[in-house]
Amino acid sequence: MQQVVENYWMFGAVCLVIALVLIRLLARERITLQGSMSFLGFLVVLGAMAVFPNVTQRISKALGFTLMSNFFFCAAIAALAILHLRAMVTLSRVHLRSIALTQELAILQEKLDRMSASRDQPPA
Amino acid sequence: MPRVLVIVPAFNEQEALGGLLAEVRALDSAALGAEVDLCVVDDGSRDRTSDVARKGGARLLQLCRNLGIGGAVQAGLRLANRERYDYAVQIDGDGQHPPAELARLLEVARSEAAPDLIVGTRYKDKDNFRSTLLRRLGSWWLRVILRIVTRQKLSDPTSGFRLYGRRALALFDETYPYDFPEPESLAVARASGLKVAETPVQMRERQGGTSSIAGFSTIYYMIKVTVAVLLTYSRTRRRKPIDDATGG
Repeated sequence: MQQVVENYWMFGAVCLVIALVLIRLLARERITLQGSMSFLGFLVVLGAMAVFPNVTQRISKALGFTLMSNFFFCAAIAALAILHLRAMVTLSRVHLRSIALTQELAILQEKLDRMSASRDQPPA
Repeated sequence: MPRVLVIVPAFNEQEALGGLLAEVRALDSAALGAEVDLCVVDDGSRDRTSDVARKGGARLLQLCRNLGIGGAVQAGLRLANRERYDYAVQIDGDGQHPPAELARLLEVARSEAAPDLIVGTRYKDKDNFRSTLLRRLGSWWLRVILRIVTRQKLSDPTSGFRLYGRRALALFDETYPYDFPEPESLAVARASGLKVAETPVQMRERQGGTSSIAGFSTIYYMIKVTVAVLLTYSRTRRRKPIDDATGG
């Protein structure tokens, strides 16, 4: 059976473009380095897999995939799912902290209002 | 004389709020046997809710963004817990809960059983205001779920007319559900070992504004609350119980 040689340079180029967008967002401080390192790592690994298909072919065969493209899709979907879960955990934590801070702010503001109201009152 | 903080969560309730605050102000402390303070939690309203609250002589917690009913109620409960109130009573800002019924809740709180959380129920009195069929159906489903999970029969799990004792205040300062919190908070309370009781109260139709749960959101509400009750109960059972003596 003839070995099908597939090229994934286009996929590598897409990874590169996304990585450049990510770096631009980092430079503009729209996202933090801490939150985006894992995504950047994911793009580097996926880009390397696309640029060096022979190595990727060996890994996919070792893992039992007949077609390398299937391995690509599975790896990408699994990595994105993990990244999404991480993002959900972070987002939920931030959401809960933001609720607590909003409540604390309201309580402190009320206390301040009462203090300034009692200070402004003329002595009896 | 025990101190009671009446917490009124309000989101765009300028129409109903003024009348409600006047009713709370008209309560006779001596007859109730309790010193009553009033606190409105303005949940990021876009109308004149906060002005109405100030004019009504209430303490005002003004949230800088809309947190939903759970976040608003918890803000009031946190205030009550930190200022060591003996009880906090939640009354909805839409005027559905007549403040005069507060006496019934206090009576149960001061009974020998001394429950930590008392829910005012509209379903034990046949002459009471009846909500829509869909809501009654939803309430029935939640009763079934809560009975299975908490092993306690509660006739009105969606009622927001509630009295919280010291132990409930300590618990809900720490943790309180945010979306559609009423049934879920009952599961939290029971799982934490609090005594939950209910007493019949009169309720009436909302005096202004619109309900946040209508149409398709009712279905989302039912699914979300069912999952939340089941998850919350199992999660909360593993937590350290609330201390009897200190309420903390």
